[in-house]
Amino acid sequence: MDRPILVGAVLYDPKVSVIWDIIRDFFEEHRCPIDAVFYTNYELMVRALVHGHIDIAWNSPLAWLDAERQLGGACRAIAMRDTDRDRVSHIITKTSGGVATLADLRGKTLAVGAKDSPQATLIPLRWLQRHGLEPGRDFQVRRFDVLIGKHGDHVGGELQAWQCLAQGGADASALLDLNWERWIRDGTIDPHAYRILTTTAPFDHCCFTVRADFPHDREHQFVQVLFAMRYDDPKHREMMDMEGLKAWVPGRTTGYALLREADPIRGMLEGSTDNHSATTTSDAQRR
Amino acid sequence: MESYSWRLRVCCAEPGQANVFTRQHQFRVGAPVSFDEADKAISALEYVLGAIGADLVNGLQALARKRRLTIEQIEAVVEGELNNALTYLGVVGETGHPGLEKVRIRVSLASPEAEAAIQHLWQEMLVISPLVRTFQAAIQLECSLQVVA
Repeated sequence: MDRPILVGAVLYDPKVSVIWDIIRDFFEEHRCPIDAVFYTNYELMVRALVHGHIDIAWNSPLAWLDAERQLGGACRAIAMRDTDRDRVSHIITKTSGGVATLADLRGKTLAVGAKDSPQATLIPLRWLQRHGLEPGRDFQVRRFDVLIGKHGDHVGGELQAWQCLAQGGADASALLDLNWERWIRDGTIDPHAYRILTTTAPFDHCCFTVRADFPHDREHQFVQVLFAMRYDDPKHREMMDMEGLKAWVPGRTTGYALLREADPIRGMLEGSTDNHSATTTSDAQRR
Repeated sequence: MESYSWRLRVCCAEPGQANVFTRQHQFRVGAPVSFDEADKAISALEYVLGAIGADLVNGLQALARKRRLTIEQIEAVVEGELNNALTYLGVVGETGHPGLEKVRIRVSLASPEAEAAIQHLWQEMLVISPLVRTFQAAIQLECSLQVVA
């Protein structure tokens, strides 16, 4: 039997390890043993992939871009969840507030998630830029840096941004479509009290990433087992529900274009870590 | 005094579970710690937390009988936190340790006795409780009592 394939994942909540136990067992049953290696942040995991310490990384979209950059493009996105494809983020406002159009956002405050969250910060800010609204110049950004390094996987910053809007600390907030739907479903958000001001273009989320030199036969073996998971099989469904997918699909990188465009914004936010710039306010730092 | 010790035998029952034998009793223990709500076995950590709560619930009743005081109902809610659960899972880059950091025990009891008498009983219990005395010295242990007439 081949040595186990080492699969890296960022773990922010111990409960997520349960999903990986189920995945590991599934792969074991299908004679494709894997071992999960957990990392506290994406930077460490990408480094491990680049140096060949792991074979496959379960990358956030930002981590994919970092891996691609560090490897000079010598990597492949091999698989993703169906729900990773064609996501959008919304910028929402209060129905009763004075922001009804994008133009109304001028001079106002937008609450966003962590500075490294593609869905709750980087992509929404880039989207507004595309529409002629420059962060810091045309509107203020109030940022909620919760668990930096986890690329917004932890929705804490996104939730705090919405709470900031709800409490009147901002005029709008940014959030992923799935969270907008989830928080309406669970009663967190009253859909009559808020409206969607704008919705970004679609983008893709996580993907399994390998280096270009990862053997194709092992990659094939891995994705074949992954794609063998069936939502209509009760044994697989539990894990798939926990991971929020109905099917695994081939990886693609075309969905990262919008995030790639947001690179200058990322650079600007990175630079504001140690001192508050006029354009950003880190609530986490203030506490 | 000669030291008094307890001897238990712990055997593997099936993968991930151990049988513990003590005197004429036995019980089964699962993983050291579990994050799976659906885990079929009780973890070692849960046994420890349950044991601290039971120490106080059963100890207080025994002490009350000894002092001829009536306790009608009693229960405890125990919450435990590890220093950093992610270190147990071997997460690269995490710091700290997987040991218990804090345990909070809230005991509620109903009694027709004067509250002062129950409070005195509680203080006495905290002094003689083997597990409270053990954990007090090692971690943040918060014990509180609520008396309902």
